[in-house]
Amino acid sequence: MPKKAERETERPPDAASPGKKARRKSVLWREIPEPKGAHAARVEEGGDGGFEPRIVAFACNWCSYPAADAAGISKLQYPPNARIIRVMCAGRIHPGFVLRALELGADGVLVSGCHFEDCHYLFGARRAAEQFEKTAEIVRMLGIGPERVRYEQISAAEAPKFAKVMHEFVEDVKKLGPSPLAGATGELEVPEAVSEETT
Amino acid sequence: MMDVGRHPNISLWTSSEVVNVEGKAGDFTVDVLRHARYVDVDECTACGACAEVCPIVVPSEFECELSERKAIYQPFPQAVPSAYVRDEVACLSKAKRPCGLCAKTCEKDCIDYDEKDVVEKINVGSVVVTTGFDFYDPEEASEYGFKRFKNVVTSLELERLLAAGGPTKGLLVSFVDGRPPKRVAFVQCVGSRSVKRGILYCSRICCMNAVKDALLIEELYPDAEQLIFNIDVRAFGKGFEAFFERSRGLPRVRYIRGKPSKVTEDPETEELTLHYEDGETGKIERTPVDMVVLSSALVPSRGTDELAEVLGIDVDTDGFLRSRDASAYPLETGREGVYLAGGATGPKDITDAVAEASGAAALAARHVLADRVEPVVEEIEPIDVSGEPRVGVFVCSCGINIAGVLDVRKLANYASALPDVVHAENVLFACAESTQRQIQDRITEHGLNRVVVAACTPRTHEPVFREACAGVGLNPYLVEMVNIRDQCSWVHHDVPGQATDKGRDLIRMAVARARLLRPLEQRELGVGHDVLIVGGGIAGIQNAIDLTKRGFTVHLVEASGELGGRVRDLASVYPSGMSGRALIEEKTAELRECGIDVRMGTTLKEVTGFVGNFDVTVATSTGGDGDEERLAIGSIVLAIGADVHDPAGDFGHGDVPNVVGNTDFEDVLGAEEPTFRGRPVEDVVYVQCVGSRGSRGNPECSRYCCQAAVRQAIQLREKGVNVVVLHRDVRVYSRGAEEMYRRARGMGVTFLRYDPDDPPVVERDGDRAKVLLHESHGYDVELPADVVVLSLGMVPRKAETSSLVNLLKVPVGSDGFLLERHPKFGPVETNTEGIFLCGCAQSPKDIGDTIAQASAVASKIGAILARDTIALEPVTSVVNDRMCRACGQCVEVCEFHALEVQELPDGRRAAVVNEALCKGCGTCAVACPNGAISIRHFTDEMIGTMIEAYLEPSQRHGSGTWPEGEGAEKG
Repeated sequence: MPKKAERETERPPDAASPGKKARRKSVLWREIPEPKGAHAARVEEGGDGGFEPRIVAFACNWCSYPAADAAGISKLQYPPNARIIRVMCAGRIHPGFVLRALELGADGVLVSGCHFEDCHYLFGARRAAEQFEKTAEIVRMLGIGPERVRYEQISAAEAPKFAKVMHEFVEDVKKLGPSPLAGATGELEVPEAVSEETT
Repeated sequence: MMDVGRHPNISLWTSSEVVNVEGKAGDFTVDVLRHARYVDVDECTACGACAEVCPIVVPSEFECELSERKAIYQPFPQAVPSAYVRDEVACLSKAKRPCGLCAKTCEKDCIDYDEKDVVEKINVGSVVVTTGFDFYDPEEASEYGFKRFKNVVTSLELERLLAAGGPTKGLLVSFVDGRPPKRVAFVQCVGSRSVKRGILYCSRICCMNAVKDALLIEELYPDAEQLIFNIDVRAFGKGFEAFFERSRGLPRVRYIRGKPSKVTEDPETEELTLHYEDGETGKIERTPVDMVVLSSALVPSRGTDELAEVLGIDVDTDGFLRSRDASAYPLETGREGVYLAGGATGPKDITDAVAEASGAAALAARHVLADRVEPVVEEIEPIDVSGEPRVGVFVCSCGINIAGVLDVRKLANYASALPDVVHAENVLFACAESTQRQIQDRITEHGLNRVVVAACTPRTHEPVFREACAGVGLNPYLVEMVNIRDQCSWVHHDVPGQATDKGRDLIRMAVARARLLRPLEQRELGVGHDVLIVGGGIAGIQNAIDLTKRGFTVHLVEASGELGGRVRDLASVYPSGMSGRALIEEKTAELRECGIDVRMGTTLKEVTGFVGNFDVTVATSTGGDGDEERLAIGSIVLAIGADVHDPAGDFGHGDVPNVVGNTDFEDVLGAEEPTFRGRPVEDVVYVQCVGSRGSRGNPECSRYCCQAAVRQAIQLREKGVNVVVLHRDVRVYSRGAEEMYRRARGMGVTFLRYDPDDPPVVERDGDRAKVLLHESHGYDVELPADVVVLSLGMVPRKAETSSLVNLLKVPVGSDGFLLERHPKFGPVETNTEGIFLCGCAQSPKDIGDTIAQASAVASKIGAILARDTIALEPVTSVVNDRMCRACGQCVEVCEFHALEVQELPDGRRAAVVNEALCKGCGTCAVACPNGAISIRHFTDEMIGTMIEAYLEPSQRHGSGTWPEGEGAEKG
């Protein structure tokens, strides 16, 4: 590779760079222009100062959680609305967890696991998808709005996808408004209504 | 990679090269030149502050120079070790001395400009060379315009453009206008298979790479037209053919035979035109395209010659490292103790490289056995954790990585008020050695029995804090981490208030979970050391040799009366030309020296148990009733090989007496003057892909037959026989095979392509036969033949496979062959721990690849059986048998066969977890309709309490707001 680098530094950079922004002279022999056309659509960042949804995100230890870490390493910015709960496998996510979160007023719940072929537990991702279908069906029947729950497959190498999903989901939930089950938005104390857990 | 970085027995030395090797197998002294990194790997937290201030910008090698990096940089986001490195050449490119900004910025003082290269001497038992390959520089193939035209890219550059984490975040953009290209052309074999470029061999991976990229582009840009220019499409691996067919079925993907002659560009519009001869029609064509992808040849890594000299091993004529023999000893070199794997010996895909790597590890282990060091276990008085939870919270600043965004003091203050928290503080670097000791002191001082560390990701640092706690006797499973760096401060830079709120919630959730954590014990299970190998072909023999040399007791059972399987019948083995029988005799002699229990005429009768503890009954049918014997076995290897397709009815087989299968033709080949049915043989026609790549036999490529046909053709041609080979694609991909193919053509062997939808017809012609063919250029051809040889596909051994499936519950793929755990990461393992497979039982394979796999299995088994016990994963499922109603739903969903419904001592029936097999994924807990299954460390309560602590802060979980006076600001 260094051989290549030497050669290139000798080569004058292309004169006509179609990039619009005035920028520092590039050290590359050709530059990637600003993406145009349909594929360039990007979700713009930034909140509107209004409703900030509360989102519970379940992420598996082997794919989606590392993807979120990698988003951090690449410093990809996304809205801070989700709280990630790490589980070993997305197949661990019982519909009850999702429903519990909704019951307690979560405005959205994300379940994110591996792509089917990458699953650390062979078929865990498939089970997760199957369970999620059931979950989504129950959510629909309860009239909460199936858009409030989302299932994703994000591999450890797909940091940008993780950030994109976060952007999209927060935007989508913002459009839906606060969950009908959200009594108050986080700052008020809600009376306790849970039985003591057994140990 | 992370596993390697973390493994206690692996020292990872980057930026290092081997400069001298002395000694012999078992006792090498190696001089390693360790280039200065200028960054302390152990201290660097990969925060990136140094790169931010660095003023020097150079092209990024990892991104194929499509984007830039700084002079101090992390090669790529997942790099291991996770630390920065200073590129001295770049750093000093503008001035004689470093500007010093990075050292000034580094909070941990990791950067030292004065670090020097050092040579370190190490003593090792073996050396494994895995130096990989480089790419041919397509600028040399100047007709394609790489580096002259912006939209001519290499396949590796395309890979970066399509990568979600790449320079365009996964958008495929034209370098001219930023729009997605509408017409993409792939040019295969750029450099490869080319006398002109001096690269005679096939690069082996590029066809499938192009197929994969085409499918990917189709998915992202369904409107894009794609043209794939190829000489042959070599889709020869397991599942490859189906993948190739999928891409071929797409309306906008076209495969075109032929190699384009050049690419030209309109200097005004920068539009590209591709010039080519259509191989089907023979016409010279030109077509406009938006992007050209060059599939560059794989060439030996730079420095291979020097390395070979240092190691005292050979390079071959192509410049790759030379194996002792590509078929018989693919991983060995001329020097004992030095082994090879992966791209260092020639182009290779991931599957084959992974198998070879495991195989080389098995061979390397032969010389280090005597030096195995048992880990020293220090006895520490465990802390009693039975009382009320006493939680300590440590909030890390990570220099400014966290503290620069989040208000860490406020977080520590907040944490101190949470239920059961008896101590909370803010620390500068939680991972620093001094802080580790500080945490240990706090545990003792405050009687902490739960530790919460709010810092970076548990994926890298949980082991660090677990170890610190274990050091003072606190069970490591009582540590909980909160990710407030990678998943908070780093990704919410612009909203510090909201980010701090998120940190607050995450800490509250973690404390809630920590209160419920229970100590877990790492338990161990005794394992038996005997290995049972089923199948005495080349795979089983090699496997037995490797395992015995590592000191395991091996029982080899073979159903037939003779060892050697299919290889024994081969007249000669390419590329060495050694006969199959000689090869088997060589290997069986080695086998006999090892003193292995070999049982002929023996099959598996019954198998119960699990990894390390199988109870196997084998039945030997010697003459009369047959003897049965029970064996205690630690691991089982399935090396049952494959059958060949039964050609009855194909291409006149059965009707025309001159038609034979290739396996029946080996005898004729051996003769000085080949005769068939009493007549001298003058003309032979080969028909390829009989029972391969179609609805009959094996739907996939059988992988061995093209190379076998070419080898046989040469043997016949040498005896003056006229040979015509009718093929669909000539798939000669192994080392030396493409050269052999070239030689065959030079000798006058004719290769003609046929269309599978319009196959050749074989008819009787007196004592001879004739083959009628609509040749692909449209000519009708009649070929006379004394013998028509059908190259028969490899098919699974149906009866044997189904009996194994019943006995061992190993799965079978859609092609009927035994299914590996993962095609790339686990090619020799099955879903069931302790059961392995190698050779053609998994899919068709040539001898070299089979031997590499057999050695790989030895390595995998060695990893399990090298110790007297196996450590069990403490995070497993637990069945509450009072709640279980024995419905068996958990048994259904468990892919690891860890659950079984059994009768309990009191007569009730309930599911029982085999903790040796359970991986702790938790899908069974979800499947259980009664809620009888719980997962240790991830119980329903633990997950539930985190949800509640976030959404419903209460007396039980602490307040969801900042205390009075702190000001609940919003970002």
